[in-house]
Amino acid sequence: MVQRTSFVALALVALGAAGASGQERQITGRVTSATNGEAIAGVNVSVTGAAFAAITNADGRYTISAPSGAATLVFRRIAFKRREVSVPAGQNVADAALEADVFNLEAVVVTGQATGVERRNAAIAATNVSGQEVSAVPAPAVDRALAGRVPGAIISQNSGAPGGGTQIQIRGNNTVIGSPDPVFVVDGVIYSDASLPTGLYSVTQSGANRGSGPTQDDPVNRLADLNPNDIESIEVLRGAAASSIYGSKAANGVVIIRTNRGKAGKPQASITQRMGFFELERGPATRVFSLTDTFPYTSATIASYMVAGQLPFYDHLQEIAGERPLSYETNLNVSGGAENTRYYLSGGVIHDPGIVLNTFNNRQTLRANLDQTLSGRLSLSVNTQFTRNQTDKGFTNNDNNGASVTYAIAYIPSFVNILPAGGTYPKPVLTYKGSNPLQSAALGTNDEVVNRFTGGATLTFQAVQTERHNLRLVGAGGIDLFDQRAEVISPPELYYEARLANPGTSTLANGHSRQWNWNVNAIHTYAPSSAAFKATASAGVQVEDRELETSRATAHGLLPGQSNIDLGAVFGDPFEFNQTERTLAFYAQEELLTLRERLLLSAGVRAERSSVFGDINKYYAFPKASASYRFPGLLGEGSELKLRGAYGETGNQPLFGQKFTTLSSTVIDNTVGTVITGTAGAPDIKPERVKELEAGFDATLWNGRATVEVTGYTRHTHDLLLLATPAPSTGYGQRIINGGVFWNEGIEIGAGLTPIQRKDLTWVFRTSFTSLKNRVQSLPVPDVCLPPGPAAPVCGFTPPNAGFGKAYGQFFIQQGRPITQIIGTDTVAGTCATTCQNYDRYLGQANPRFRWSFVNDVSYKRLAFSMLWDWQYGGVEQNQTLSLYDCNGLAPDQATPAGRARYDSCNLWSVAAPFVQSTTFLKLREASLSADLPERWANWIGARTARITVTGRNLLLFTDYFGYDPEESNFGQQAVTRNIDLGPYPPMRSFFFSITAGF
Amino acid sequence: MTNTLGLRRAALAGATVAALIGAGACSGFFDVPNTNQPNLEDLTKNPTRTKLAGAASGLFAGARTDIQGFIWRVGSLGREGINLSGNNQPDYLEPYFLSTLVGSGFGGALWGGRYAHIRNINIYLTALDKVSTAQVSDAEKAASRAAANTLKALAFMYVIETRDSLGAPVDVDVPITAPLGRFVGRDSVYGYIIGLLDSAQADLGRSGASFPFTIPSGFGSFNTPSTFLEVNRALAAKAQVLRATAAACGVPCYTAALGALSGSFISSRPADFATGVYFNFSTGSNDVTNGLSDPLGSVNFYAHPSEAADAQLQAGGAKDQRVLDKITAATDTQVVGGISEIPGTDKFTVYFTGGQADPSHAIPIIRDEELVLLRAEANWFAGGKLQALADIDSVRVGAGKLTPTTVTIASPDSAFVKELLYNRRYSLMWEQGTRWIDARRYNRMGDVPATPPTGGHVARVMPIPDNECAARGLLVNCTPLNP
Repeated sequence: MVQRTSFVALALVALGAAGASGQERQITGRVTSATNGEAIAGVNVSVTGAAFAAITNADGRYTISAPSGAATLVFRRIAFKRREVSVPAGQNVADAALEADVFNLEAVVVTGQATGVERRNAAIAATNVSGQEVSAVPAPAVDRALAGRVPGAIISQNSGAPGGGTQIQIRGNNTVIGSPDPVFVVDGVIYSDASLPTGLYSVTQSGANRGSGPTQDDPVNRLADLNPNDIESIEVLRGAAASSIYGSKAANGVVIIRTNRGKAGKPQASITQRMGFFELERGPATRVFSLTDTFPYTSATIASYMVAGQLPFYDHLQEIAGERPLSYETNLNVSGGAENTRYYLSGGVIHDPGIVLNTFNNRQTLRANLDQTLSGRLSLSVNTQFTRNQTDKGFTNNDNNGASVTYAIAYIPSFVNILPAGGTYPKPVLTYKGSNPLQSAALGTNDEVVNRFTGGATLTFQAVQTERHNLRLVGAGGIDLFDQRAEVISPPELYYEARLANPGTSTLANGHSRQWNWNVNAIHTYAPSSAAFKATASAGVQVEDRELETSRATAHGLLPGQSNIDLGAVFGDPFEFNQTERTLAFYAQEELLTLRERLLLSAGVRAERSSVFGDINKYYAFPKASASYRFPGLLGEGSELKLRGAYGETGNQPLFGQKFTTLSSTVIDNTVGTVITGTAGAPDIKPERVKELEAGFDATLWNGRATVEVTGYTRHTHDLLLLATPAPSTGYGQRIINGGVFWNEGIEIGAGLTPIQRKDLTWVFRTSFTSLKNRVQSLPVPDVCLPPGPAAPVCGFTPPNAGFGKAYGQFFIQQGRPITQIIGTDTVAGTCATTCQNYDRYLGQANPRFRWSFVNDVSYKRLAFSMLWDWQYGGVEQNQTLSLYDCNGLAPDQATPAGRARYDSCNLWSVAAPFVQSTTFLKLREASLSADLPERWANWIGARTARITVTGRNLLLFTDYFGYDPEESNFGQQAVTRNIDLGPYPPMRSFFFSITAGF
Repeated sequence: MTNTLGLRRAALAGATVAALIGAGACSGFFDVPNTNQPNLEDLTKNPTRTKLAGAASGLFAGARTDIQGFIWRVGSLGREGINLSGNNQPDYLEPYFLSTLVGSGFGGALWGGRYAHIRNINIYLTALDKVSTAQVSDAEKAASRAAANTLKALAFMYVIETRDSLGAPVDVDVPITAPLGRFVGRDSVYGYIIGLLDSAQADLGRSGASFPFTIPSGFGSFNTPSTFLEVNRALAAKAQVLRATAAACGVPCYTAALGALSGSFISSRPADFATGVYFNFSTGSNDVTNGLSDPLGSVNFYAHPSEAADAQLQAGGAKDQRVLDKITAATDTQVVGGISEIPGTDKFTVYFTGGQADPSHAIPIIRDEELVLLRAEANWFAGGKLQALADIDSVRVGAGKLTPTTVTIASPDSAFVKELLYNRRYSLMWEQGTRWIDARRYNRMGDVPATPPTGGHVARVMPIPDNECAARGLLVNCTPLNP
């Protein structure tokens, strides 16, 4: 957004300032690409030390006012390296050739709602990912395509299900019960990333209606509604000093997404057609039985399954997740415009069937972006997007009812046949709750449809434009609306339903999300005649309103063949929850660029009040300050080193309702009444506050062919939102409080190298490294100190959705320990001969030692090859898929002593250690090979250019982890309690062939 | 520079104007109510007659909370019965075998739920105090206050019956942010209970003809201030008697109990033994069912074998009629966890209707049969021994169909206590944990079988829950009175 406004503003400046002063001269020229000599439109041209600016037209030409003396022109444009050209007095023509900027060194880094600085000056760590990088290899959603591309962010897929379901964690764990999600801003509109459950839990009975059930539905986080092909760039603000521009809800970082915009000139169109398929990436192997096996079935039982003298073998995972249906995607975009009106239109259609029968994702998107120059001083840009996104994820994840297909196969030994014969599914005896998972997959429905509109507009007014002063007023606002309707149908003929008192379940879930935000900003830039400094002051106000309404209802005892919820015998689990958060913020900041544009000093503050704070009239201030200094040429010709440091504060808002103590309803003798609930709200609740210090350096070497960015940070989160356990004599079982301190400290490295840069051959290498450690520095005492025994109290508590008990491993927040530690039961050595003596011990932490990714892009003539490897080292996950197989004696090595020990761990000793496994992995996340077809071939189909590409995602995974993928998360988006794997939708590998034609 | 500052002022002024537009346009914009559930604050700050009526209904529902748990848990400690449901081992292992109960699981129960109910009552009283007399008249307020304080006294009675010598906090009507109410001793708790009941009595004298809310049908005709007073007095009598044995109060308490009884609904006619007040249960939507009404074929609650074994015989040789009425053979016997010493062979039929389990069966709070026995106890120790024996016989004969007692006014107290406890045990079986509570009152814990034949242990009190100790900075199994 900032870039856009600055483009527009600068264009206005050029028009408005022409002929403004007799002391000026006009310089004209043309800007071309150093690679191929083609004209470049949209290049920002500015004069060092003055406030003049211009922008190139479709032919690459520009005209700019300049002081009459010697001047230096600066040429900048996204995707090209900046170029400075000295223009002596009297010379009125200056042409420039720009080189490609493969490492995004020239991006503008956001510093406020309507301000930004050039990346070479930026005093904060910021990552800019180009749209091309996230759309090259198809991913279910934008966030998943960011994996491995953003230092400081750990991005994991919750499951392999079509349609998405991804979590991003930026700079560690900063909350327990607050929101774990970053703020997503698309073209200035705050974009909802809500994850609304479908109500699958009503069938799987994975948890309670108002408890852990809905969180186990593997919901899609709604960032999935964006079409990655529309994205121009993504900027990830990781540190508090950067993200504090979104104040009290930016503790988890801010992700700023800009979509493509039209450029003046001949209309350009591009169409991409993709075809491909998904297949099972990885999953648990199953045990091959022999007649000599004695557990968990007797030899006689096993023998009874003999067919024609042989014990049959069925790979149930392949049976349920072995589909490879055809998947396709079509994207079309058109852009162009005249000087005063520019447009970008796109449409996309995706059909991604999953590897489990009847699962799929269908998404249709339409986008129209318009930039309109209204007068010499006024310009408007408008963005609109419509999405329809339909997903059926089938029945997977945790289960207590026999519905989840991935759960059920962990109960069915390999010698049991569940394949349908003549349209009839066998009723297995050895299974979970009567389930035949193939029948469940064939007949069950878990369908959600989202219709979404997002629209925004930015109005820029160039109030003052002189040689020394530039005052812009920018107003921006937008709205993001979606409706989600989900229907879960589990027909009565399903075998697990048939055992229930009222067979047949249907759940209808509705969600309505409505968000709008607007801001008004004044930005003043002052450059004195001495050119000693440039100062930018900005101030503004922002208003945000977010509303989310969700409701669900379930019917049991359905009429056969029917699914409407009024066609059941018993109506249950009604649910409705409405929440609204409204925030008003004032902010102001000053940026000073001085010492020949080498030193940048910046300070700002944002003050916020919000409806979710206890005191709705109180403003909470979030200050920030940063400084950077550049050393050009320090490391040799064409090099630059920048040192930077920043301090910032940001927050995480309380969730809706946490400040209220509510009453629930009760009935006695047919009279309804009210009683208190077990949770005491916090009427004085305030936002969590992150205080962070970051420092680092950025270096560019070898004329921009090598770049490295190193950032270290230490952040403390104060006033954590916690669920404390008060004395029960208060009448409350839980109490929401602010308290305690989390500490995260880490290092992030991003580096790029262009080892080969020749006319026909280039090789670009990028890497990003993320490592952090964290600790619970303090927890309020004694509120949450639980005494485990007669020893000193352990200060800690079990967070919501911590797992399935200490016998399997669970999260436990404990003072002085890693935030994501997993503890579990173990036995005192040697005691199990008689009666096991158990104790709790530390089994690891979910937070890995590091994530390290490697990207190689090689292009040779018309061919381009790219690979992204992602390496995670350390960290542990609760592998409850393994515990399922082990508890049931169905893991492949169960007959060995080691396998038997794990069987006994579950069934006899309640020992958790075997089920908490390392998440170390090396993954080939993405690979692509593309070829630009000769122009004459393209011309055959009437196109200007044509390119064919073969891509793959999740191609290789090397890990000792058992079963599925060590990134799984049964409870979906969670602050702390990620890393729980319990019968998820199996991870998918994808292969696509695509052809893109440009017109 | 002046020019610069001027421009900056202009810019900031512009932003300020915009800000004021933003802020000014939204008076009340940030005051977003929670529409998902009623807010506590709404009840306490803007009470109305209707809201208070709903809250009062919640008080009666809240009073019912934990009553089933009280009966089977305290009943397990006193070996009236056992909970063998499913695989929840702590429910039968802990009360039968733990040498020291722990403040989590079984031992930590019957505390938080009761105090949540007490918090509810205190919130109701706060709101009641605040409501305008146009909404609720002073007479109605007095009636409401009396009902709430009577229920509060009942709640504290349930608390102290389980914790006894460990005491309990009574000053709990403080904000959650305030220091915790301190523990006070058993006698103080009973004193507090009696004080509540007496203040309710006074309030009932100032009440009008009716309560400004619906009283559940389990209270029968005791649903007007004048009749509710009889319930209040019945509970006061019980509290006085419990206090008498629990502390040095002795005769004055017994005398006070007799005074209270005279204002209660006591009648000694066997036909009236069931008269009293009850908690309603039902299968209605959002209502609570009586889970103690356990079908004969189910495997949840069983009567301890000693209940049938210890019964005296009627003249014809049949067992005490109360055993015949309340216990029958299980159709599905159960031996859980290989503990053959506590077989599940007998089932309670206390909450059966027409010989069948009835999930809508009411559970008594206090009834005439108990009042008669309370009068017997009070009279004996206050000097009216003849009257005491007459009341004992009224129950022995009227409920047990036994021959009159052999105890005479010349008999030692111990003989009377044995007779009294026998009758209280069988008259109140599986209704309120009487066997365990009485054994402790009269220092006869040895009469409660540890568990036949060996290995068991009968706890004397239930411990203070772990969370309560922790919140007070104490270790588990704390004794806050003597930290």
